[in-house]
Amino acid sequence: MKKFIKLTTLLFLALFVSVVFIAAGSKEKAAPEKEAEEVQAVKIEKPAPGYHKPEVSTRMIDTSKYKKPAPWTIGFSNASLSNSWRVSFVAHLRYGIEELKKQGLVKNYYETNANDDPVKQIADIEDLVTKGVDLLIVSAATAEALTPAVEKVMDQGIPVITVDRNISSDKYVTFVEASSTEMGKLQAQWLAAELQGKGNVVCLPGLAGATPAEDRLAAAKKVFSQFPGIKILDVQYTSWSPVEGKRIMQTLIQKYPQIDGVWADSGLQGSGAAEAFMDAGMEVPPITGEDFNRFLKMWKKNNLTAVGVTFSVRMGYEAVQIAKKVLQGEEVPHHDVVPNLVITEENLDQYVRMDLPDDYWAESMPEVAEMLFGK
Amino acid sequence: MSPQVETEGLVYRLTCYFKDPIRRNTFLEKSSIYLILFFVFLVATIASPVFIKARNILNVIRLASILGVVTVGQTFVILGGGIDLSVASVMALMSILSANMMEGKNELVLPVSLFCLGVAILIGLANGLLVAKLRIPPFITTLGMLLMVQGFRFIYSGGMPKGSIPDDLRILGRDLFLRIPVATWICIAVGFISWLILSSTTLGRSIYAVGGNRRCAYLSGIKVERVQIVTYVLSSFWAGFAGLLLTGWIGVADNWLGRGYELDSIAAVVIGGSVLTGGKGSVWGSLAGALMLAILYNIVVLLGLDVEMQRIVKGLVIISAVALYRRLSVR
Repeated sequence: MKKFIKLTTLLFLALFVSVVFIAAGSKEKAAPEKEAEEVQAVKIEKPAPGYHKPEVSTRMIDTSKYKKPAPWTIGFSNASLSNSWRVSFVAHLRYGIEELKKQGLVKNYYETNANDDPVKQIADIEDLVTKGVDLLIVSAATAEALTPAVEKVMDQGIPVITVDRNISSDKYVTFVEASSTEMGKLQAQWLAAELQGKGNVVCLPGLAGATPAEDRLAAAKKVFSQFPGIKILDVQYTSWSPVEGKRIMQTLIQKYPQIDGVWADSGLQGSGAAEAFMDAGMEVPPITGEDFNRFLKMWKKNNLTAVGVTFSVRMGYEAVQIAKKVLQGEEVPHHDVVPNLVITEENLDQYVRMDLPDDYWAESMPEVAEMLFGK
Repeated sequence: MSPQVETEGLVYRLTCYFKDPIRRNTFLEKSSIYLILFFVFLVATIASPVFIKARNILNVIRLASILGVVTVGQTFVILGGGIDLSVASVMALMSILSANMMEGKNELVLPVSLFCLGVAILIGLANGLLVAKLRIPPFITTLGMLLMVQGFRFIYSGGMPKGSIPDDLRILGRDLFLRIPVATWICIAVGFISWLILSSTTLGRSIYAVGGNRRCAYLSGIKVERVQIVTYVLSSFWAGFAGLLLTGWIGVADNWLGRGYELDSIAAVVIGGSVLTGGKGSVWGSLAGALMLAILYNIVVLLGLDVEMQRIVKGLVIISAVALYRRLSVR
């Protein structure tokens, strides 16, 4: 009797799971196929190629109390070097430091890498303070965990500049970043303009739950919602992986017979998605990305219709410029936003580097590219 | 005898055969994974008409084949009583090394691939020696190896992988041969060779023995340590091979290639009927498990499930499959 009950429970479990699948499947079929309506084409301009600086309202910070005579000791606590974007970003920071060293303004530079572990990063910050840094630059592994550590440093009178990722309180001198919201918005605006306000669009954001990915997706959705003619067919997270991008895109190609545009926040999954179309023998629809070199190379080689809006690796260099101002007692903004570069077919040739590897970030300063690749 | 009588006789003999509970259970146990696979396939087809489209099926079996090659290696290790968590790390290493050394040149594909596979074999050898000679638990050894290979990868590439993948390697990962993906032909060949080794050679029998009861195997005169080392070498070798295939498919050097494949391969082996403690299981069952996982990955996207829902569903199906297998197995 017991065995019978167990067996039937399992069969019911199996049945339940299959019902979930079939229900989910039929929900897809039941949803009426809304045809892209004939609408008055809403006027939208494609973003112009070149730099776009978003409007940021912020207050200026008086840094006279941090003024110190040169040469300085600067410390940088990095969250991780887990992908080539971060490597490029840190290279820009190091280049900024090198410049200051040459000017005799910096005598010591210490850098730590926490490997995405917030606990290690807290220890790293304590080490840097013990080493006697005049200023700390931090890219926090997680906002919550690092907040007390950063606040403690500020309490000790050492100025802190947060870059790329922030803490959750307001206790820092300046937060340097590029706007993810602006990035997603510009990409979506380009796509909406390219499609002239109507068509079927697939969204491929990055890592589920990561603030840059969520901010960009929210901004893009907001833009698309202004166009009743644009229908978002699907939103699938890709973990910023070319493998995931290609795998998911090739499945979506089978599912949706008509895909007019692809919004991807990065060329990492974007390059995978483009390849999925090419493998299927289809023309690649208009697609968005940023300055990931593989994406740009593919764009150039295959004559794609695409746009790149960068999440600037130069913010590392900018953080050092702000550091210099702080230690010289100059006023700095509390929130410093680095402009996003828009790459279109007009300026593509300026940025794509066919001679450099796929993992080159095309907005890099030429001096840094030289440093990393020797060319 | 007349055909009528013969058929009746056959039916009678079959029913008698399956009336025996032990016989019935053995049949169910051996074929449960295929029944589960067929069931999943059926549910997927009903749930989404797109699933059964030729191009989609080809996409699914291509990725299933690459996972399958890793799973075959993992089967060897698990049958022998161990586990290999370093397979995904090895796959990513293949990606970085091959792109950097091949530099897009077709003539370098073969020599560099052989070199990469050699590196994979060395990693397997290290795993095997640590487990067999130093008696470090396989979970810890291979976890440590995963991290060491990862560290080496980042030092070697400086965080920015260089080079590019030549077209010839892409053929292996991406193209079709006689309307079926090349990767699938390779997976079937790998499965066949492995099945032969496991079922018809002394080595194969020894692996089952060592996994089943190491002490008994040792007392029976089997060179337990040697057998263990061989399983780890095979696992890393096949993981390396799969890494080259996946790199060929994606066409770019990726420090995180194959992420998740270690857990997927272990899940596939267990779904396929192998016991995690070792000594029981088959290559074909594991491959069926890999195919089932690939179908799952495909169907959750086709059904448009939210990413959270996707994870819940995958976990539920894996647990159900293993629980069902347990229920149907011979007591």
